[in-house]
Amino acid sequence: MISPIDRRTVLKWGGGMLGASALMPRLAFGQQTSINYWHTFTSQSEFAGLEAVMAQFASAHPDINVIQENIPNPEFMAKITAAVVGGGRPDVTMVASERFADLRAMGALVDLTDRIASWERRGDFEDARFASITSEDGAVYGVPAFAFVDWMYYRKDWFDEAGLSAPTTLDEMLVAAQTLTDPAKGRYGFGMRGGAGGQAFVVNLMEAFGSPVLSNGEIGLDRDRAIEAVRWYAGLLTEHGVVPPSAPNDGFRQIMEAFQTGQTAMVWHHTGSFRDISGFLEPGVEFATAPIPAGPAARVARLGYAYNAMSSDANADAAWEWIKFWGEPDAAVALLEATGYFPASTVAAQDERISGNPLYAPAAETLGFGLPQPSFPGFAGWSESVVLPAFQRVLIGDATPEQAVDEMIDGLAAAVG
Amino acid sequence: MSRTFLPAPYGPPRTVWDRINPVRLIGELSETRYWMYLLLLPSALLITAVVLYPTLYGMQMSFREMRLNRPDLGTGFVGLRHYERMLSDPVFWVSLRNTAVWVTFSIVIEFVVGLIAALALNRNLPGTKVLAVLILLPYFLPNVVAGHMWALMLDPRLGVINDLLVRIGLLEGYKAWFADPGTAMAAAIVVEAWHSFPFFTLLLLAGLKGIPTDLYKAADIDGAGPFAQLRLITLPMLRTIIAAAVILRVIGLVNSPDLLLILTSGGPGRSTQVLSLYAFQTAYRDFNFGYAGALSVVMFVFLMVFAWAYIRITKVNQE
Repeated sequence: MISPIDRRTVLKWGGGMLGASALMPRLAFGQQTSINYWHTFTSQSEFAGLEAVMAQFASAHPDINVIQENIPNPEFMAKITAAVVGGGRPDVTMVASERFADLRAMGALVDLTDRIASWERRGDFEDARFASITSEDGAVYGVPAFAFVDWMYYRKDWFDEAGLSAPTTLDEMLVAAQTLTDPAKGRYGFGMRGGAGGQAFVVNLMEAFGSPVLSNGEIGLDRDRAIEAVRWYAGLLTEHGVVPPSAPNDGFRQIMEAFQTGQTAMVWHHTGSFRDISGFLEPGVEFATAPIPAGPAARVARLGYAYNAMSSDANADAAWEWIKFWGEPDAAVALLEATGYFPASTVAAQDERISGNPLYAPAAETLGFGLPQPSFPGFAGWSESVVLPAFQRVLIGDATPEQAVDEMIDGLAAAVG
Repeated sequence: MSRTFLPAPYGPPRTVWDRINPVRLIGELSETRYWMYLLLLPSALLITAVVLYPTLYGMQMSFREMRLNRPDLGTGFVGLRHYERMLSDPVFWVSLRNTAVWVTFSIVIEFVVGLIAALALNRNLPGTKVLAVLILLPYFLPNVVAGHMWALMLDPRLGVINDLLVRIGLLEGYKAWFADPGTAMAAAIVVEAWHSFPFFTLLLLAGLKGIPTDLYKAADIDGAGPFAQLRLITLPMLRTIIAAAVILRVIGLVNSPDLLLILTSGGPGRSTQVLSLYAFQTAYRDFNFGYAGALSVVMFVFLMVFAWAYIRITKVNQE
């Protein structure tokens, strides 16, 4: 005999099941804290490196679930600005050194001074590594995840064939570029980044010619020296024709494609491109690396750091675990193996796979004289919105170097005024 | 004899329940003149929240100092300072001129190509359904995808278009379309026209379907040729749709910086800098939301004036 199910029984069981179903997700996932991580990794090798670090972290911290989100570099500032203004900040975000001043000023970052001071691996990092993420009042906002060391890639086979050695000065570089340029073959001496992202090299060259934008805390440009720098750099296209005609619109993709496909003999970038270029050209045979050539006044190569910083303190402890995990030597080497990005940790940088590779020697040399990017509120916007278009105007014959530098000086005054 | 059934009017409340019964209360309210306002209230609230408030907030921002990376400057009222700065800002004037070129040429090309495509599809020839889908495909692509696709196709090193033009002898060598100020804007307009002409096709085709065929038959009898029919029947009958489509596209073109952001970022120099891109860069590169707000207000005013003048000139609202 089947016992009848009355209305009360149905309600009782139904209510019980409803309550249980509401509790189940908490029971299943309650032990895990999820954190959002915004980063600017885009290439396949970068994602491989990120996945390797995330896998190590998942093993070490099964209670924390990292949800990564890629924000392409050009859109990063727009996205995080919107998140700061409108809500929806990530728990942790990657911060390039040149963006720190603006992000801190808009209140996008959480002060990590105390956590970093008591961090057991703080001693693995030189103080200088934190310089670009430290405010003028001494507050520290992030942990260096890896380093970008500016250097030069050059076609070793072409240089050997022409009897040239890697240039050490800008004058030598020009001679080499002229020697190796043959437009009839579609070959140019240098891959100039005149499009998106090219502003950094204009600023660097102005400093190499004796006009740093930030000197002893003073912001400004030495007009004559800046003009000299812009004239020399733009002259590679307008006077000497040793760069591809597409230079005014060439960004990262274009300069890398040109180098990898044998259209340019030299290109400036940082250590992070090493793995990608090695996929096309044989390291040490077809291409080699060298420090950035010296200018008349200084040798300027940037040591940039990508930091991990906290943007929201909603899950502060879990976020801090993720941030500091990037300082572990195993994580740093895993990233290096996938991407070629240099460890920021001194301990990790002593790994045999780095110190024993002669192609990394120029990067090690650059660590000795390299400089951090200038950093002050308004710098990133000025360099992108004023320096680059003004320089492009010289490249396309729309302005003289004098007019371009005057535009930069006026723009700088407006940016920091 | 027909009878009209009306709901019985509610009598005076007889019990306490009558006084608080929500159904009865709503029923009573529905018979008053306030009922229509009550029905409109949700829509009005929604419009206020998603249209009116952001618009007014953006406008008030243009009268304030609002630089996110300079909190030391505060967010005080600065009156018309941003607008005064605009008058002496050379980038604003270059952007304004480029916006006019960008919008005018894009609209003309999109309209002409869109009309031709719509007329072709309206002939109901075999295969037109497949052709219609193919023609509409570019419009389904997001701007970002279309931009990157065309950037690769026009690439000075790997671009298939350069390769084709060299092979058929129209070019001697590969051209860097976006690096030359003489061709950058034109190339960007071609990309934009390719991407958006289906918008005109879609609307015009809908309009063409609504034109009575008797008009064309009568015109045939009167000896009117195809061009005369186009000029005297088709275009006048499509006038309202053309006006709506042009206004919508102009608004879209003036307000959307994404395609130019991907293709040129406003360069080389300032040769493809338009107002929307300038406002975007001012906000998200320089973090100067006050000045960006002022630029946006100017664009808003231009669009309002354009829409008003265009409607008056085309006289569509007099039909």
